[in-house]
Amino acid sequence: MTVQTPLGAAAPPEGAVPARARHRGRPEAIAYLFLVPALVVFTAIIVIPAVVGIFYSLTSYVGFGDWEFLGLRNYAALVTDPTILESYGFTLLFALVTVVVAQTVALALAVALSRRIRFATGLRTVFVIPMVLSGIVVAYVFSFLFANTLPALATSLGATPLEQSILGNPDLAWLSIVVVSAWQTIPGALLVYTAGLTSIPPDLYEASSLDGAGAWRQFRSITLPLISGFVVINTILGVKGYLGVYDVIVGLTGGGPGTATRSVAMSIFGGFTGGDYAYQMANATVFFVITVVISIAQLVVTRGRSVRL
Amino acid sequence: MTIESKETPVGPAARPGPSVSRRSFLAGSAGALALALAGCGAGTSGGGGALRFYLQKQEVIAYFGDLLRRFESENRGIRVVHDSTTAIAPQFVRGEPADVGCFNGNLELARYVGRGQFRDLSGLPSAARVRGDISALADQYATYEDRTSLLPYSLAAAGVIYNRRIFADLGLPVPETWTQFVDVCTALRDAGITPVYATDRDTWTLWQGLFDYSVGSLVDTADFFARMKEVGTDVGPDAPVSFERDFAVPMERARTIAGFFNPDHAVRSYADGNLAFGRGEVGMYLQGPWALGQIALVDETLEVGTFALPVSEDPADRQARVNVDLALYIPERTGRVDDAERLVEFLMQPEVLDAYNRDNLAYSTTTDAPPQQDERLAGLQDYVDRAAFYQGAGTFIPTSIPLGNYLQAAIRTGDFDSMLRQLDADWRRLATRDATA
Repeated sequence: MTVQTPLGAAAPPEGAVPARARHRGRPEAIAYLFLVPALVVFTAIIVIPAVVGIFYSLTSYVGFGDWEFLGLRNYAALVTDPTILESYGFTLLFALVTVVVAQTVALALAVALSRRIRFATGLRTVFVIPMVLSGIVVAYVFSFLFANTLPALATSLGATPLEQSILGNPDLAWLSIVVVSAWQTIPGALLVYTAGLTSIPPDLYEASSLDGAGAWRQFRSITLPLISGFVVINTILGVKGYLGVYDVIVGLTGGGPGTATRSVAMSIFGGFTGGDYAYQMANATVFFVITVVISIAQLVVTRGRSVRL
Repeated sequence: MTIESKETPVGPAARPGPSVSRRSFLAGSAGALALALAGCGAGTSGGGGALRFYLQKQEVIAYFGDLLRRFESENRGIRVVHDSTTAIAPQFVRGEPADVGCFNGNLELARYVGRGQFRDLSGLPSAARVRGDISALADQYATYEDRTSLLPYSLAAAGVIYNRRIFADLGLPVPETWTQFVDVCTALRDAGITPVYATDRDTWTLWQGLFDYSVGSLVDTADFFARMKEVGTDVGPDAPVSFERDFAVPMERARTIAGFFNPDHAVRSYADGNLAFGRGEVGMYLQGPWALGQIALVDETLEVGTFALPVSEDPADRQARVNVDLALYIPERTGRVDDAERLVEFLMQPEVLDAYNRDNLAYSTTTDAPPQQDERLAGLQDYVDRAAFYQGAGTFIPTSIPLGNYLQAAIRTGDFDSMLRQLDADWRRLATRDATA
């Protein structure tokens, strides 16, 4: 669930002649030398297994032995399974909330750190630390905080409603997952935003302040439009990562209390050990389609805002 | 325990241009792919002449390592290596299972048994020495034709672990009836001691303890689930068998027991439970022998005993929860039948098998086996001898049904009836796609 930093996006090809035009009719053969191995590996370890998996989602296969062809029966069972539907509801809502929280905080931090303040570099380093920690480790540490430290703190401060750990509360447990996921992914987004902010020419701010624009006006009319491409990248990568949420939940709630925080990825993974391979392959196929649709929708909606992925 | 999320292919990264023809491009790609796949295949076949032994139980890998060295020195020319795969499924998906396996006799293994993946071991001399009532346990989950697919190696018995010092100080008897059990819980609570420590965070502890113990002595689990499979998609309030009907009284018991849990049970984990019990803060703990070693790490001198949970008013109804902790199998696909059988026979020798079970707080599975001497488990020996035991109801429920999570919710709300209706609904759904085993 790491958010990758799209380094390439930081350098807009300003005034450069597009590669295609320069070599019209005479493509560089060497380009294929680089592309083919990647394509082969991608096909061998992603595309082929995915196609095989999609095929088995139409069968009763458990991973070995005999199987029979079921057609769309697994899919029909899927859409009437309340546990599965609940997991979709939870996962989509979680991804939406987390992406908003994480992007807002990351952008605020990036703007603050881009100002001339003391220890900006040191602070930036501190904020990036969560990114290098493994998700499951972070989740277990936070689960200790939520289960023991926070209730103990609440008791000593006399805040009675907070004495019960939110991990045991089906209505609030999901907040713990939002907090930890956001905490873990903010650094990646922060780095992207920092790169975006440094690409804005400082004279724009000087000119606007001469015209009398305040800090908020500058942010809305200069900063935000010029880094909109970075916002889109962060949002798409963020949503994609949050949709696959797994390790943080395993460490924090195990999908509980009850089934309140069971994500789609957890159901899918359960199919491999639970003998429900084909059924969960169908689930994975549906989930894949939904993820692709969401990504395409995000691209379409934001098209024309100088976005190049 | 992470799943790598698949990267979504974005951008115009891979698109063949005009000068290289599409055909030659595809041919080149296919060639490279064939090479890559051939490379994969070459690495995994063969195995260098060593016999592969797969052991599921991580804690005893070193123990078995010593046994394998002994086997090698007694059988010159045979080399045995541990197959270090963590999961059983990939071995079978690849079609290359280890030559001898030693696995928990559970529903997961039953899927392989039921599909005829294991050789018939009934011809081995040691098969005749396995207790009939214990090999019957292994057959409760699945069978294939009339094969002996598994040789039970180690039987674990579980009950209520209790603090003998606390019981002695308060003058409490080991309860033999449900009423006595509730009295003991009340007395402990009145004395300011947590009667039963529960660890809801690790949901397996809920079904393993609370659920299984509440059901086991009231319902014949093997018979119940055999009938549930027969009824299949018709399971429900009007069916002759259902969770809602048959488990109603047991879940009444579970609800009462949950009332005696530690107040913070919802956020406590298995490790917390072992720590609390080890510190002597707890009267009773619904756990199996696997927790005893962890408790001893906290306090080696703690006086611990085990009894079977009474859930009726007749002491004779009490039974112990058991499971075949380890069972041996030889997969159909092994190329080394003779050597594999020799290794199985070596491991099944009375001195090897009895020593393993003595050292690992378990019970031998063969006739004329010596009793388990450890006093922490002495309370269950009689049940094992009399075969007054059951396999937990939770172990018959496929992991596709998140039973532990349902229990979490039921304990919190006190509404076990909804949980039972949910279980029936889930069972019907699984039966529709033949996934009940």
